[in-house]
Amino acid sequence: MTRTLAFLSSIRWQDIVDILINSYILLRVYILFQGTNAFRVLVGITSLWILQEIAASIGLILTSWAIRGITAAAAIIIIVVFRNEIRAALQVRNLKTFLWGFPNREQTTPVEVITESVFQMAKRRMGALLVFPGKEDLGEVIHGGISWNGTVSQEMLMSVFWNQSPVHDGAAIIRGHEVAEVGVLLPLSQRQDLPSYYGTRHRAAVGLAERADALVVVVSEERGRVSVARDNSLKPVVDKEELSYLIKKHLNYPDINPAKQRERERVKLIVAAGLSLMIMTGIWFGFTRSQDTIVGLSVPIEYINRPLNYEILETSVDEAKLQLFGSSAIIKSLKPGQVGVRLDLSKAAEGRNTFTINQDDIMLPPGVSLNKIQPATIEVTLDVPATKELPVQVDWVGKLPENRALADVSVSPETIKVTGGSKTLEKVSTVYTAPVRLDGLSKSGSISSPIVLSPPSLRISSTSPDRVTIHYTLQEKPPAR
Amino acid sequence: MRLMIAAATLLVIFVCVPLPAVYSALDQPQPLPSGAEQPKAATPETQKPVLKQALMSERVENLTPVRPGFAFSVSSGQVCCFTSFDPVPQATVIYHRWFRRDELSTQTRLRLYPPKWSTYSVIQLRETDKGPWRVEVIDQNGQIFQVLRFSITD
Repeated sequence: MTRTLAFLSSIRWQDIVDILINSYILLRVYILFQGTNAFRVLVGITSLWILQEIAASIGLILTSWAIRGITAAAAIIIIVVFRNEIRAALQVRNLKTFLWGFPNREQTTPVEVITESVFQMAKRRMGALLVFPGKEDLGEVIHGGISWNGTVSQEMLMSVFWNQSPVHDGAAIIRGHEVAEVGVLLPLSQRQDLPSYYGTRHRAAVGLAERADALVVVVSEERGRVSVARDNSLKPVVDKEELSYLIKKHLNYPDINPAKQRERERVKLIVAAGLSLMIMTGIWFGFTRSQDTIVGLSVPIEYINRPLNYEILETSVDEAKLQLFGSSAIIKSLKPGQVGVRLDLSKAAEGRNTFTINQDDIMLPPGVSLNKIQPATIEVTLDVPATKELPVQVDWVGKLPENRALADVSVSPETIKVTGGSKTLEKVSTVYTAPVRLDGLSKSGSISSPIVLSPPSLRISSTSPDRVTIHYTLQEKPPAR
Repeated sequence: MRLMIAAATLLVIFVCVPLPAVYSALDQPQPLPSGAEQPKAATPETQKPVLKQALMSERVENLTPVRPGFAFSVSSGQVCCFTSFDPVPQATVIYHRWFRRDELSTQTRLRLYPPKWSTYSVIQLRETDKGPWRVEVIDQNGQIFQVLRFSITD
């Protein structure tokens, strides 16, 4: 009980917002893509990813690699293959619809007009092929077609399928209240079990129904019969009522049973919302709360808000060793800039200041917790800036030839002005040149050399040069007695 | 007796023993390196000794600096700071303070006797001594007579 309470108290409001936002994103993805092939493939990819994680966790190295490769390839393929569906799902009129609304794919189709027209055509022995797309995109399976975009009417349909019409042999696509396309070529079914009296028109109807979730109404030219093809089946329709029912059922027409339909949609949405929340909560806990990994990091200490009149003279450490824990996924994805120790010097005074590092001084990404820090305290010595004129000395290195001696050395300028902390400068009485090698010297001359300041917190004053000229005199070394 | 004291001195690391001046040697002053900072004149009121010569050398033989210079190889084994005062109004004490970079490495207390006196301090060299050095010649009040700068090299 105590553990549960402690756990609940450790959840921040940001965590709850985090889960809710991502749950909503998942729900929106479901709402926008539901019923599409892309969504089904997305579910497949997610299943593959879960399988890969399971395979990795139980040590199936090759399997996990293979599934990972397939998942990565499938993710790219889904974008290429289902680009039309993705575009259709994301093509909304405004941002509000994208973020909040529901895509209204089904527009009210004048079913009664269509059924009346179909049976009129059947009576007159006019062949016809009407396609009512479902949720799947037909772009990949149908060909040809002429854009029509005419409002559905009996006259319109009759004229399209009139046998003198140039487009009467193709199918008409009905979307909402419009005849969207005419003269469309459908894929033919390769089934051998279809009755021999079924001609090309029937085979085309079955062919499309096999490949997509569309409903195809076919009117036989020879026998004047109406049939409906859907999901591998071709069913004869005897009257207008039956055809009307089938079309409305296919289009999820609310007037089949509006209340029941709405209720079903609501339940579906609530279940989807609940599942999204559960999935995201699970993922969030998996990512942030498993806390199964501990890592040690050396992090540079940042000193911020230093009083302007002081300089940092000395710090007891430059890096802090942090021991962090969290889920392996988060710990593995840690980047150097995400973790830091920032010490606020705004209240520091001149001289030595001791700071105890606490949680507020440590910058951690969400989901990562601090286990230990070393050292727990840091000493920072602040100093007042000052300028000091210091003599320059040459830092000779190497070795002169055996018979040569360095008889005289002078430096120009002899002194330079150095700025830095006054306490630092107190300890410095000479500045040195960069190392100057003796090995190459064979006769007297001059060399230019930069000044090297130590400690590095010191700076050469703007009025002094950062290089000096060394004049040296070499002479024969007197022989040793 | 003086020779014995001098011999003992050379055997001790970081130790220098004041030696009586050999007047004949000091009457012929060694050339002062131009890089060395000029000694300050003593006022009669303070009765301070006057630094006449100060230089770094590989050795001191018979109170004469041998192989003076500004860079000394660590292989030479030692380096000396030779100072000569003239006049020395009264017996007093001076110090040779040896610094490697800005860190005091050793300090030697040396006695001066009237009327003039030469003395030196010596350090034995080790590999770790390489780098820039300076020797401050100061009186008992910390007043600097001169700063000598040199380097210990390969």
